[in-house]
Amino acid sequence: MNEIRLLFRKDIFILLNNLKLILRNPLRLLPYAGIAGYIFFMYFMRLKSRGEDTAAQEMPELDLNGIPEVNFALQNIVGGVTILALVILIYQLFNATKKNVSFFKMADVNLLFTAPVKPENILIYYMGRSILPSLGGAIIFVAYGYSQAIDTFEVSVANFVFLILSVAFFFFIISPIKFLVYTLNSKYDVMEQIRMGVVVLAVLLSGIIIIPGLMAEKFWQGMFAWITSPWFDFFPIVGWSRGIGSYVIHGNALLSLGFVTLYGIAYFVILKLVIRFAGYYYEDVLDATKSNEDQLEKVKGKKQVGESSYSLNTKKKLALPDFGTGAKAFYWRNYVHSSRQDFHPLFGLYSLIMVVIGIGLAVLSLFEWFSHYFLYGYLLIMLFLYFFAGIGRANVGDLKKPFFILIPATWAAKFWNMIKLDILQISLFCIALIIPSVLIAGLNWFIIPLFLFATIEVYLIGFGINIIPQIALDEGWDRKLIKPFMIGGIVLFGFVPAFTFSVLAFIASKQFVWALFGGTFGMFFVAAILMHVTLDVLKRLEFKEM
Amino acid sequence: MLSVTNLVKTYGKQNAVNDISFELQGGEVVGLLGPNGAGKSTTMKCIVGLLRKTSGEISLGGYDHLSVEAKRLFSYIPETPYVYDLLTVHEHMQFVAQAYGVKDWRGKAEEYLELFELADKRDKLGRDLSKGMRQKVSICCALLPDPQVLFFDEPMIGLDPKAIKNTKKIFRELKEAGKTILVSTHLIDGIESIADRVMILKNGNIVGNDTISNLKKQFVQEEGTSLEDLFLEMTKDE
Repeated sequence: MNEIRLLFRKDIFILLNNLKLILRNPLRLLPYAGIAGYIFFMYFMRLKSRGEDTAAQEMPELDLNGIPEVNFALQNIVGGVTILALVILIYQLFNATKKNVSFFKMADVNLLFTAPVKPENILIYYMGRSILPSLGGAIIFVAYGYSQAIDTFEVSVANFVFLILSVAFFFFIISPIKFLVYTLNSKYDVMEQIRMGVVVLAVLLSGIIIIPGLMAEKFWQGMFAWITSPWFDFFPIVGWSRGIGSYVIHGNALLSLGFVTLYGIAYFVILKLVIRFAGYYYEDVLDATKSNEDQLEKVKGKKQVGESSYSLNTKKKLALPDFGTGAKAFYWRNYVHSSRQDFHPLFGLYSLIMVVIGIGLAVLSLFEWFSHYFLYGYLLIMLFLYFFAGIGRANVGDLKKPFFILIPATWAAKFWNMIKLDILQISLFCIALIIPSVLIAGLNWFIIPLFLFATIEVYLIGFGINIIPQIALDEGWDRKLIKPFMIGGIVLFGFVPAFTFSVLAFIASKQFVWALFGGTFGMFFVAAILMHVTLDVLKRLEFKEM
Repeated sequence: MLSVTNLVKTYGKQNAVNDISFELQGGEVVGLLGPNGAGKSTTMKCIVGLLRKTSGEISLGGYDHLSVEAKRLFSYIPETPYVYDLLTVHEHMQFVAQAYGVKDWRGKAEEYLELFELADKRDKLGRDLSKGMRQKVSICCALLPDPQVLFFDEPMIGLDPKAIKNTKKIFRELKEAGKTILVSTHLIDGIESIADRVMILKNGNIVGNDTISNLKKQFVQEEGTSLEDLFLEMTKDE
């Protein structure tokens, strides 16, 4: 156990050094203080409004036979959250069959793995310690999430504790399971069987959504009937977490503690199995540790984000002719890149999948399996995705290569050629998605051009929001402190009015098309201003070596 | 060909480049020497426009260094080679040829790829290249537009001995062709044979800017001193 004491001391030193760094520059706590202040403000406002709103508890609505009607809204919320957790679990399990998980840093690999210490003890320590990030994340998540639901639930220590444990255990237990999967494969070469098991589990879980959905009068009314029933609390991990978290509803501490115990037993069993099967695991975790470290450096901005991630067609041979001289080389470069990223440079597999989902929702709404609102929600999600695509565009590709500055062409030409392919791809995607969807679901025809404009607008806004502070603000704290204010300003004076306009249009018309028109109209000005500023600051672009 | 006047570059409160001025005449080969952190790379990046200068004037061929006209005149080989992940070696050549409007580039590209032993890697993606191979691609890309001025920032880092020899050969050929070259390097031996002049930077200041023989006369009295001895003498802490 000497190793565990040693590792604990090392972590205490790291903690102390971090505290010293904070004391040397307490300003770095400001963003966190801002987040804490926001959460407290939310609690204060919600508690205040709850005090004023003393509406009596309503009796559940009864149907003609005197049986309480199913609360579909609550069922869909619980079902939605459960589905989300199941998707995360399945994804993580499937991921475990592809790459190993690592609890270590490269410093551990270089210093600890070569030292005369017992590998099992290092593993036990780090596996146990990995609960800390899950716990920290869960505290922040629950603190924020609970502030939004304070109207419905009581504020009590027990509620907080159980909710935090429910989230923390869920994310914590996934890593040991992933590690166990990898070690089992190292020893018995059973990856194919495990992968098949995960696929079968995914199919079965899909079944328990589809079958009750088909049995119900309307699909959406029945689809969550089984997974929201109390017996599903016994489903490992997702159910257990729900069982712990449902303390806020039933208040039965013993029941929730029972699920905590289930987690405890599961962890003990996994740990024992890992120790038994892991053996001399050093070599197995090397790749995963290195890749974790690379990922961390990319997040911190110390390392360049790879542009070739998720490429589907890298082996493709190309013989593209020249597109022209000067800045057109960037359009050519993006075209070549995109040809290898996906199966077609203008319309790829990812786009096709998203289009098929959208059209699928349109078909379902035609047969009244789903309300039109699901399709509208999907369109809004697409807008959200393209907003983040715009944000991401400023972090990869041409802007992160010296060529963008060095090549002799005007900034406007370089900028246009850099985003030209994205705009074409977005336009094709929007047309392929929205025209069939509108025709099938019988929606207002004006949604077609509005959706196209809105998507391009949000993409440009996302791009502008990210690139402007990157270029306009100098390094260090200026950027870190001013950037949130700048983004806050854009949100406050750009997004909020556009969104308000959209909501007002919806309230007045009760039609999605007018809401979309309101938002698109408002965001047009935001996008125009941001593009103007982007073109203005682009000439000040610097190339920072990683 | 290149004129730098009162160039200052600050990071926070620290001056990375401290009010330096110098000129490079057409056809001149100048070595930029200095210890780590002296400001060599920063100076070069300010000249080529990758970093914003805090103050000062820089002109290339009579044009402001940030103008499109100036950019047509030079190429830059960075210390860390940056290539596109999903472009092959040959496609990098095609990209640069388009960007700089190079006509009949294929033959020339093949020549450079041959010289740097990349011919058999022409269909390899950027992401699959080692650091040394990326550096070779970076050099080939810089040479393809046949610029008047070349800025080399530690070009030998990561290269194998044969590629180093070829780069030195390229330097000599470029010099014979009348190109202007500013090369920052730690490989003092390599620069001694080709540089018309050296500039030695220390803490963001130019502490020596002359031919090697003149500098030796000024700073070292003993016979038979090498450029390395001179460098160590001029950059030693007071």
